[in-house]
This record gives sequence, C-alpha cells and structure tokens, in this order.
Amino acid sequence: MTDTADTAEGIAITVNGQAVEARTGELLIDACERNGVYIPRFCYHPRMTPVGMCRMCLVEVDTGRGAALQPSCMLTCAPDMVVETESDLTKKAQDGVLEFLLINHPLDCPICDKGGECPLQDQTMAYGPGESRFVEEKRHYEKPIPINDNVYLDRERCILCDRCTRFAKEVAGDPLIHFQGRGNGTEVNTFPDEPFASYFSGNTVQICPVGALTAKPYRFKARPWDLEEVESTATIDSVGSRIVIQSSRNKVLRYLGVDSDAVNWGWLGDRERFSFEALNSELRLTEPLIASGEGHRVTTWSAALGAAADAIAKTPASRVAAIGGARLTNEAQYVWAKLLKDVIGTDHVDAQLGDGLPADLVLGLPRATIADACRPGGTIVLCGPDPKESLGALYLRLRHAVIEDGATLIELTPRSTGLSALAAHTLHPRPGELGALARALVAGTTDDVAGVSGAAIGAAHQAIAAGGPVTVLLGRASAAESAAVVAEAAAALSNIDDVGFLSTLTRGNVHGALDMGLAPGLLPGRQRLGAGIPRGWTSVPSETGLDSTGILTAAVAGEVDALILLGADPLRDFPDRHLAEQAFDAVDTVVAVDTLPTDSVAAADIVLAAAATTEVAGTFTNLEGRLSALAQKVTPPGTARPDWIIAAELALALGGDLAIQSLDDVWTELAAMSPVHAAIDPAAAAERDGVLVTGTIDYTPVEQGELPAKDAYALRLVSVRAMYDQGSSLAASPSSAGLHREPVLALHAADFEKLGVSAGDEVSVTSARGGVTLAVQSDPGVPRGSAVMVSHLGGPDPYDLIDTTTLVTEVLVERA
Amino acid sequence: MGVLDYLRGFRVTFDKLFEERVTTEYPEEKSPKPDRLHGRHVLNRYEDGMEKCIGCELCAGVCPAKCIYVRGQDNPLDEPVSPGERFGYIYEINYLRCIHCDLCVEACPTQAITETKLFEFSFTNRSDAIYTKDELLVGDDGLPQNLPWEDWRPGEDVATSAWMRATSPAGDADYVGTVGWSGELGYGVRAPEVGQFGEDPEPPAAEVDPVDEGGHH
Repeated sequence: MTDTADTAEGIAITVNGQAVEARTGELLIDACERNGVYIPRFCYHPRMTPVGMCRMCLVEVDTGRGAALQPSCMLTCAPDMVVETESDLTKKAQDGVLEFLLINHPLDCPICDKGGECPLQDQTMAYGPGESRFVEEKRHYEKPIPINDNVYLDRERCILCDRCTRFAKEVAGDPLIHFQGRGNGTEVNTFPDEPFASYFSGNTVQICPVGALTAKPYRFKARPWDLEEVESTATIDSVGSRIVIQSSRNKVLRYLGVDSDAVNWGWLGDRERFSFEALNSELRLTEPLIASGEGHRVTTWSAALGAAADAIAKTPASRVAAIGGARLTNEAQYVWAKLLKDVIGTDHVDAQLGDGLPADLVLGLPRATIADACRPGGTIVLCGPDPKESLGALYLRLRHAVIEDGATLIELTPRSTGLSALAAHTLHPRPGELGALARALVAGTTDDVAGVSGAAIGAAHQAIAAGGPVTVLLGRASAAESAAVVAEAAAALSNIDDVGFLSTLTRGNVHGALDMGLAPGLLPGRQRLGAGIPRGWTSVPSETGLDSTGILTAAVAGEVDALILLGADPLRDFPDRHLAEQAFDAVDTVVAVDTLPTDSVAAADIVLAAAATTEVAGTFTNLEGRLSALAQKVTPPGTARPDWIIAAELALALGGDLAIQSLDDVWTELAAMSPVHAAIDPAAAAERDGVLVTGTIDYTPVEQGELPAKDAYALRLVSVRAMYDQGSSLAASPSSAGLHREPVLALHAADFEKLGVSAGDEVSVTSARGGVTLAVQSDPGVPRGSAVMVSHLGGPDPYDLIDTTTLVTEVLVERA
Repeated sequence: MGVLDYLRGFRVTFDKLFEERVTTEYPEEKSPKPDRLHGRHVLNRYEDGMEKCIGCELCAGVCPAKCIYVRGQDNPLDEPVSPGERFGYIYEINYLRCIHCDLCVEACPTQAITETKLFEFSFTNRSDAIYTKDELLVGDDGLPQNLPWEDWRPGEDVATSAWMRATSPAGDADYVGTVGWSGELGYGVRAPEVGQFGEDPEPPAAEVDPVDEGGHH
C-alpha cells in the first residue's frame, strides 16, 4: 500500500537474477514494479487491500523451501527472497489463468467500451494462450443491467476480481454491490431493489479491468484510440482532484481520476466525473447578449463590451461592485482583480456569495493540507459542511484516515454528516452557539454548552488534549448561520497547540480567488489593501470595500449602480434571495460573465459569454492552497472568450491598459508583486501534485456578537447543501440532473409532539423573510430545536427564509 | 529529301494500322477489372436485413488516410439496427482521402465493410465526396445501391473483395470452405496463435477448395 514508509531500511531480494532492494512491508508486486519488472494483475489495486482473487500475478518464489508459485500481491517482501517472474512455470501459470478467465468472458471486444484499453485484452495479447481449447457455449447473463443511474453492469464480462466490490466497501463505504451465488454461478450484483446508490460509483467503472462496468455518459461515445487526453484539475469543487480530460473531435467525452498522492488518490466523485456534460450542454452561452425588451438579443463583442464599458465609465468607482470569480482560473482572477481594483478602482469585490467565510479566516489561520489532516494518529475536527455531500474526494481521504490510519474525528456540526458513523465524538451545537461549544471543547468543561452534554464535551476534550496534531476542517456548515459564528469558533480552536486549519469552502476555485484578491480589502498575493501600490499597478482603492452581503444591501439602498457578476448567480446562490432580488431591481446595470444561462444571467443587462474549464489553460488553487495546472483541451463554443481576455478587452474599452497580453505576462507580474507567488515556479505547478502556496496574512479574531435568546416556539434553521441539487451546472448535466432528493424539512422526532405534527405532514415554515410549505420528516441526525433543509433542490428552499443580517435564522413550523 | 524518305518516315504508322487495337472507347466501353480491385465500399447486411456494422470503429482506427468517421450508439431495443448492443450510428467515408488500401475490410470483425469494383468517382463539390451510411449500405438484395451519379457496369458489384481476408479474424489467403451471404466472401482457417510459448507452427496445408467465382486461384 502507499503508506509504506520510505524511511524503512531496504530488504535485499533477487528478481529474475537481479539484486533488488525492496522496502520493509512492501508487497512483492509493488517492489518488482518499482524496479522495472511489471507483473500482470487484475485484482490488485495499489489503493485497496490486496485479496489475491485473480491469480494473474502468480510468480515463482523461493523463500527458502524451494520455488513455488505464489501471488505476488499477497506476499510481503522478505529478506533473500528469490523471485522468477518470467520462468516457464510462471508463464504456464499466466497462460492457464488467462485461458480460464476466457472460458466465460465473451469476445465482444468490438462492441465493448473497454476494448482498446482493456487489461484483459492487453494481458491476453502479452501473456495469454493464442487460442482457446474450449468449444462449449459461454455463460450468458442478461446484457447490461443498470445498477444505478449512471453505471451499467454486464455480468458476462465480469472476471470476479473484487475491485468494484472492494471499492464500494472499503473506499466509498457503500457496500451495495456484492458477490452472489457460488462456483460457476458467482456474479457481482446489487441487492434486489437496491441500486448502487453511491456518490462514487463511477470509480468502479474506471478500475474495472474488463468491460463489466461501463458508464452511461460514455457508453458507445468513442473508442480509446480516438481519444486525445491531457492531465488537468477538476474544478467543480475546491478539492481540485487531478483528472485526465479525454476528448474526441473537439468534444470532451470523459474525465478519469489520476492518482495524485497529495489530493485525490485517483478517486473522483460522480458529480466531478460527469461534470463535463455541462460543458457540452446545449444551454451554453455562446455569444454576447444584450437586454432587449423582455429578453436578450445576440450582439457583437464590441457592442457588448462597449455597452459594459459605458455603464461602468459613467459610474463612480465606489458605486461599481463585483460578485463572483470562483469559476475562473487563477490567471483570470488576477486579471479581473487588476481590472476591478486598479483600472476601475472599486474594492466592492467578493468571490463568495454570503455562504462562505471571511478571507481573514482562510488566509490568516495556520493552514493544513489534506495529508496533514489525514496523518496517522492525528485528530480531525470537522467544523464545516458535510464532506460527503460537498467535497467527495476529500471525504474518501478522511474516511481512509479514520478507518485505516487511526485518525480521531470530532464533529462540531449542526447535524450528523456522512462521517458521523466514523466519528469518535459527534457534537451538534444549537445553531449560533458553535463558538461557545468550541471554547468549551478547548477549555474542557463538564457543563452543558450549546445544547451539548458536558460529558460529551469532556470526552472530546480528552481527545484533543491527548496531544498529537489537530486539523480543523473549517467551513460554513449552514448558510442559515452567520459566518461570524464560524469565525468565533475558529478563534477558539486556534488556541489548540499544533493546530492547522483546512478550509472547506466548497465552490470551485474560491481559494484561488482569495489568493488573487477577489475579496474586499485584499490584493493579489495574500496582501492587504493599504500596503501601497503593488508593482505593475497604477492605483489601488483607497477604502476597504463591501462583501457580497454588503454589496447587495448597499444596492438595495441605492448605493450601487453597476454590478458585475463573474460566474456568480446571486439570485439562486445568495442565501437571502429576497435581498438579492431587491438588489437586482435597484441596480442600473448588471453585467454577467458566465457560461450557462442562470437566473442572474436572465436578469442581466449585458451578458458576456465565457469559456469554461477545459477550454482555457491556467492554474487552479485548491482548498489547501495547492496550485495545480488546468489544461485546455477543446475550444470554447461560439465566440465565447476566456475570462481574462474579457477583462483585458473591457480594460481597453475603459481606456485603461492592463499590460497583459498572455498568461505568461500574468505570472511575470504576479511574481513581481506577490510575496507568496514570487518563489513559485509555474513549471512545478504543472507537476501532478502541484505546488503549495504558503504564507498567511495577519489574523485578528472577531467576536460574533450577542446571540438573541432563543424563541421558545421557534426552531433554528439549518441550511445545508447536498451532493446533487438543481444548481445550474448540475442541471445542465443529464446524468446528474435527476439525482437530487425531494426537499423535506428534517426535524428531531422529539420536536414533533411539541409542534403537533407527524412525519409526512405538510408544514409551513415561516421566518422573518418569508415562508415555504413542504413535508416534514423525522431525522435522528438532527438535534432537537433545529430544523434542517437542503437548499437548491428546486422546490421549497431555505434560501427563501434566510436573513443574512442576523446570526441565526429562526423559523416557525406549523401544520399547513 | 526525296519522297521515299518521306514515306519511310510513315512506315511505323502504316504498320500500326493493321495491328489489333488496344484503346477502348472509355467511358462507353470499359476494360474488364481484376477480381482483386479495390473500389467503392459497401456496408453489408445479414440475411434478415440487420446491419452487420456494430460501430466498433476498428476500420476508422486502422485507416491510414483517416477517411472513415464512425460513431456507435446504443441499439434501440424495440427496433434494433444490428444484432448486438451497439450499432454504427454514423458511418462516413471521405473518398477524397480514401486510398483504397482495404485495411478497413481486413479490420472489420463482422465483415460489414467490403469493397466493390467501382472505382471511378467524380464530384462537383467536396461534401459530395463524403459517402454517408445511407449511401454505403447495401439494398435488401444484398447488392450495392446504384446511386444516381455512379456508373455501374455488370460485374462490378459481385465478388466484392473476394480475396481480401488474409489477416482478418476469420480468414487466410488460402481460402477454405464456403462463402458468405452475399455470395462472395470466402473464409479460411487461420493458424492458431502461439501465445508466450514456442515457435510459429508450420502453416496447415491449405485444403484448396476453389471458391466458385472468386477466381483468385
């Protein structure tokens, strides 16, 4: 396995007559491969427990009692082993294993999606018998059966290697596919009426060594030899999983996970894996649009940019604001930051939409990497969104750390998460009281705090006080709870010895946006405004600007005339939709730079069609601050342009000149003006594991302020996100669009009696902002006194209830 | 220079007047084509009318001129196009690029694509040079469609690629046995492959069994 320490002393073994040094505890198959001797295999996967199912890796090993065939994936290297991987006996074994596998494996390679990249095909060519001696009829099963919405299973082709079933059980923790039957009748299948409902099912397609598992989005789309590929980074969430983008005829057809030791270990969530569909969507914006009557009409770039420039030029800088930027590459973010803060001169710039954290928390606290969080024996404090629902690849790493490496997980979340079953301590504070709980946890108390029993807090305190590295996963678990609440908790948790913080802001390249200064009071390179004019710039805003909540509030007050949206959809994604709607009504000109027709794009006056990921090169910054390369694989649709070019053209139309003609210019300028990027070699960022950008800004804890006493009749709202919802890019991906749940209000069963409702009832939920009606459901993972809703499901939405000006949103729940 | 010298100069001309003529009145009259001629492709069907092409793209993959564009698709269950899960949904050959090497025919695992002896192409624009699946498919009689702009002569649509299967999955240049549905394709017995062991065995003695009209023996 990969956690074999490099530090261990070598073991001398002999492979095919050559002296070879293996590592302590290393499997023979790995030791041979590392030394250039490839042993064929089907079931062995370096990220999973070896099982020795397929027998393909049999080699002749003399461990002192004479040579014998042994599976090299089950054998740990021992001193003085003598191994023959190419002896006649080994070859005979390989030949025989393949002949046996092919007894029942259908030879439908020409129609099989795996044909051309199939380990069974390749190894039969290399090690197999030329001809089968079997003339009997092969075993037949019903041809592909869907085991979930995106994966087909063809049992005829299965060679029972146990990779998919092991992945489901060990890695994903969704043991929903399993071996069934005995002997010749053994098959992999799901349980009756239970689909393989896993967020990670696409990985089984990727690791299947035959074509038994195929993915519906790629089914019969292309053959391996017409795919061109390039390594890149997935941008749909902030983990920045490394992927290979494969395209044919200028169309992206598939993403595959790449094994990056630092990030995703080769795994991808299905949402990530199939997110390319949104890029190929018919809905994509392909031309610039300008408001005309009720809708938009297509216009030219010069007209659209001219109109945008006119609107901005006639507006004083303090009345121009920009929201968004997490969709952009780092380079585009830099160019936009320079346009907004230098040429236009406004600091009302925020890449987050009121559902994130202040930049101070992310950039000011000592940062940790995923590897830091997953250290064997470490402690993980989850103080943010459910990783399983928001950051799939991170969830798999955390799961591995807890199960395999003995990490201790402490949850400080408003409701149970996908990791709760693995958590040593699960503490659910009342919404708004996370800070108090964090203080109690750090101090160690025996009193009940924030609705959590003193005993539970004390036990969790022991785990932290026991020493060892502590990593806090810090994010916004609930959009209905102010970021100030998380800030207060972070301040308390920063007092733990040897603590590191791993940001779990979820939205795409939001960490790059913070590094590139798309936040109020910041300049590119983790610098605060007020440190003077950076090199290459002519001016900076004189005053610290507003964040998204501030911008929208100011807009309602008539203090914002021009609003620029950089891939942001405040009408859908800002937690207080009423505020966003009022702001849109009040603003004179809305300029939207986007790829898909969101609600906010529909309401914009000028729409600039942008190129999406896979259509632009650049870099991405993940939640660790890791810089990794984004590659261009296809060309943008229509006349859509890369975001940085739009910014540069807009600057020219405004009479400014950014002096940036290429992405190299961005890096030259960034190296000169940014203390944290100066030492970064862009070539190193192109490596698989990327480069960590290090350096923090000064951090001052901020108090959250007084929490109003809880209304005895009210419940506190918790608004969470789910893996699948009706967000604009998911809605444009056919394989993900239908997977979202129905909206329900989840309550603790004990609250039912008090409210006079029972499970399944339609209830009305009202807050100071508005009301929705939906079904109520009992959920043991919800603490008493809280009401949990998932946002963006397309129906009744907590974002219609949330009041962002308060610390928590309280709701009244009544039978409708 | 005398008159005799002048006539002597015409001697070759006069001699040729009485020899057998080799020129033909092309295109009214065409010379017979060899059986192995590589011409315009056809996409074959099975006897029940199902298309043989399964959209595997092996022909496109092997094509040295990159003139074939194939895309497969899920076979509709209610109205299947080919016998398997997958069928050739798009099939295009660009005859401005095709060099008629016949590697596509050898690569085809279902003998779906073969070649006729029609080789004269003329187009008035570039897109006409791209034959689509509708044009390449054989008709219900198993014979190539005679498209309006094509000039077919008797015999050009028989024995399509009669000798062609030297390296194809089913065959050997030394034909053995019977013929395929369209009355033209022979098949042979290929020597088994040898895997990781040993030398190539002696090729089996060809049981020469002349293919009726193939004419390659």
